Amino acid sequence: MSTRTWLQVLTVGRSRARAGPEARGSTPAGVPVQAIGWVLAGFLGAVALNLHHTALWCAPLALGTAAWRARAWRRRPQPPGGLLYTAVVVVLALAALLDFRTGGSLGAAASLLVVMGALKLSETTQRRDWLIVMSTALFLLLAACLDAQALWRLPLYGAELWLLCTALYALGAGTGSGAASSGSTAGAGTQTGAQAARATVLLTASARSLAAALPLAVLLFLFFPRLPGAFWALPQGDQALTGLGNEMSPGSIAHLYESDAAALRVRFDGPLPPPAQRYWRGPVLHDFDGYSWSRHPLALGAPPPLQYGGLPYRYEVTLEPNQHNVLIALEMPQGTPGTLPSFDTFDYQLITPRPALRAISYRLVSYPEYHSTEPLPQIVRQMDLWYPPRRNPRSAKLAKQLRAGARDDAAFVTAALDYLRHGGFKYTLEPPRLGLNSVDDLLFGTRQGFCEHYASAFAMLMRAGGVPARVVTGYLGGEWNRFGNYLLIRQSDAHAWDEVWLQGQGWVRVDPTSVVSPASLAEQLDGLQPALAGPTSRLRSASWILTSVQALQAVNAWWQDQVIGFNFNRQLDLIGKLGLGHQQWQALVWLLAVGGALWLALVAWSLRPRVWARPDPLARAWHRLEHKLGRGVTARAPHEGPIAYAERVGALHPEFARSLHALARRYARLRYGPAAGPAEVERFRRAVQLWRPRLRRGQSPASRGGPSG
Amino acid sequence: MLSSKPFRFLSEPRTAGARAVGAWARARQGEDALPLTLRPRRVYILPTRTGIGAAVLLFLMLLAGLNYNNSMALMLCFLLAGVSLVSMYECHRTLAGLKLHAAAAESAFAGTSGHITLHFDNEDRRTRALLAVGCAQAAPSLFDLPPAAMRPVRLLYQAGTRGRQRINRLELATAAPLGLFRAWCWLHLPLEAVIYPAPHGKRPLPPPRGEPLEGHRRAHESSDEDWAWLRPFREGDAPRSVAWKAYAHGGPLLVAHYEAPAGAHRLLDFALVQDLPLEQRLSQLTQWVLDCEHRGESYALSLPGTRLPALHGPAQRRACLEALALYGL
Repeated sequence: MSTRTWLQVLTVGRSRARAGPEARGSTPAGVPVQAIGWVLAGFLGAVALNLHHTALWCAPLALGTAAWRARAWRRRPQPPGGLLYTAVVVVLALAALLDFRTGGSLGAAASLLVVMGALKLSETTQRRDWLIVMSTALFLLLAACLDAQALWRLPLYGAELWLLCTALYALGAGTGSGAASSGSTAGAGTQTGAQAARATVLLTASARSLAAALPLAVLLFLFFPRLPGAFWALPQGDQALTGLGNEMSPGSIAHLYESDAAALRVRFDGPLPPPAQRYWRGPVLHDFDGYSWSRHPLALGAPPPLQYGGLPYRYEVTLEPNQHNVLIALEMPQGTPGTLPSFDTFDYQLITPRPALRAISYRLVSYPEYHSTEPLPQIVRQMDLWYPPRRNPRSAKLAKQLRAGARDDAAFVTAALDYLRHGGFKYTLEPPRLGLNSVDDLLFGTRQGFCEHYASAFAMLMRAGGVPARVVTGYLGGEWNRFGNYLLIRQSDAHAWDEVWLQGQGWVRVDPTSVVSPASLAEQLDGLQPALAGPTSRLRSASWILTSVQALQAVNAWWQDQVIGFNFNRQLDLIGKLGLGHQQWQALVWLLAVGGALWLALVAWSLRPRVWARPDPLARAWHRLEHKLGRGVTARAPHEGPIAYAERVGALHPEFARSLHALARRYARLRYGPAAGPAEVERFRRAVQLWRPRLRRGQSPASRGGPSG
Repeated sequence: MLSSKPFRFLSEPRTAGARAVGAWARARQGEDALPLTLRPRRVYILPTRTGIGAAVLLFLMLLAGLNYNNSMALMLCFLLAGVSLVSMYECHRTLAGLKLHAAAAESAFAGTSGHITLHFDNEDRRTRALLAVGCAQAAPSLFDLPPAAMRPVRLLYQAGTRGRQRINRLELATAAPLGLFRAWCWLHLPLEAVIYPAPHGKRPLPPPRGEPLEGHRRAHESSDEDWAWLRPFREGDAPRSVAWKAYAHGGPLLVAHYEAPAGAHRLLDFALVQDLPLEQRLSQLTQWVLDCEHRGESYALSLPGTRLPALHGPAQRRACLEALALYGL
């Protein structure tokens, strides 16, 4: 590598080398050859981590460009010039922009990054170009982190970060394989950086550096001031989030039964509610078009006051990302969580301003019993009595018959339930399709369905019979995880039931599915899945599998709650627990300053200069010889050279003068003569080891002292 | 190839600010004495452009992470920040604690280039990689120091005009390991080279004086047996004086030393070239000195105010060249 490119490394861009004649030489200007492989691998890794949300053409594009660049490994690639290249650039940029317009999501941004990185890759010549490719790779990793935070991806992210760090070290390390520099290098410097560019050396260096950075990262993670909310948001793409929606039509919940994904996790402060009370309220649906139910778009005033009864349950919910903006709560919640911007509606839904893009957690209090203390407002009554008059005529007729035969509204409810119980209805997750008159089709045609069919039909019957009714969607049951001490509610626990207004009692929960198929409901309450659910749930009946699955879930839940869910509020909690709660900012500044200083001191200490403590073997052998002669008169004076020393001691002890002279001369030759090989030094060491100053028994030369007789 | 432009960063400070910083460092550190250990406090460090770019990049990552309150993104950002800071320490450590045992600037002829040799000693267990040392007059040399290694590092400096050339300030720098930071160290060593006049001029050598006996001279030229004594060959010895016969017989490379006949020498006198301008005069005398040395003849130099007796050999050559270099300065 030429001196000039080296300088570029040192000055980094201050004297930017033009792609002159020498840059067209065998090495790409300013970039160690070994680094190219690392950067390419790092870039491809980052692209791979984004595969799930980038455009389809991103992977082939990145692979193709990288392969093309790798082919021109050792030489500077000729950027494919001319019209074709320009056309390709324009088309790709347009494709990415189009993706952005249609998707408008993080995935589209990642696609754009892939295009930018790949295009830069095709014209990389200088160190600066490679650094830009590295930056895009780092941003791609960031995009992947922003988009997907599952625990199983953590090792992938870690490995990719390691790879990218190694690439950074490789870019910094330089090379020894470059051309000999122009005469100004040190004699020994032609292999400059060769050592540093070896793969193992690079991998170790980056791993060590990352390990050293980890304590600081944890400190910053915990105590770097978090923001209470977002100040800017990329519009989220149409992600296929499973979960409850704002609408319920026949089949929409059945499709949730296939999903093992967690919907929410709940930690109770005290005892758990009994299984029969584990109704988790979600979106409440009022508007019925004869086929599907949907939420009412308007907020109809404040929630009517309730009189609560029974033992309160205090709990914390961690809610997975979802499509609705309802905070799922155990029936019947009192008040709203203080830590989230939210409000209570007239039908007791807890609404947050926007759907949760990531897991959120909140604390609530719920009571198992409640009574309305005020009459139903007229506007709500009208809304909850309305049904499309031309649809489902037979059901409406049936409802009127049942109502006519009943003493009061409560008896009418019972009669309707009896009709469902004894009408030969069957609970199945794979019912035949229903037509537009879905209730008629169900009650008088197929007679097969599951919760949402029966909830829909029952609510329709109630409304037709003059009893205000609404459909509540949510979850039922939950699986206790004893490792994590929480109740796990899955998407497959989704359920739909009804609430009817009875004079004097207010809103009353009625679950028509329970009369159709008490067994299936009991199964769900026990935390087991309906018989037709996915294969994993059948597996889960084996106990040891259940145990290990639960342990895994607990780890995952901890990850979701404590790491992914760490936010402004949790940071406040943490400072509070440390006893610094009253002055948040000062506490954070202090913690960061002290912790950061400690970390810096630790890094400085670990990198302190460490002298190679062992002297060379020759010196050690000579020390051994001196040691054998002991202390006193026979000890070597600091100013004495080996020969003079041997002569002096030899005069004192003629009995071993000859051998001592020989050893001293040998030492002097090895030390000061032409460079001695290790074998010779080893022979000298052995000679010293075997050398015994011939002394009279029991006497050491030191103890004798003085001239011998 | 070795234009001075790419090395601008190592050149003498140009702006007033850089000069002030240089003067401050000089006053702070004082003149260096050898052997020298680079204490951490005299190793300066600043981020490079890449480093500033990396800081901007990290800041953007931080904003993204904070905005979405995304733990993974924040962790990524914090880890990268940690790695950058570790690299800062590593960069500083590459220089701190390094030992410089000896430094010397070789003399050179004006207009050519000479060597500065620095003996660095790395006592540390770690490799000190990617070091560069340079100065205003010299292109930087790049080198690595393996663990517990002592290395001579040679720099090629551009010799200026004749006279004493002082190497005011050497800069030892590194951007290892990531190029985000650049640590450097200024060495104010008592380095001085004598720049000889450029050898130039086509005038013939002045005739020898004190012509030896005819017979003696003939014998001297005809036979290798006539030498007074032999000594081992040293670099710079004229090939003419090598005892080639002895070498051909399988002996070592020896140089024959002849008893110089009394008074057989050439007097290189300033007065002989009085018609030339001063610098050309000195150049001609320099050329003659080299010619005499090449022939293995004794020569005396006479400059106004200086007279060097007739001798020959490296010491004589050096004394004469130095006298010529410093004449009138």
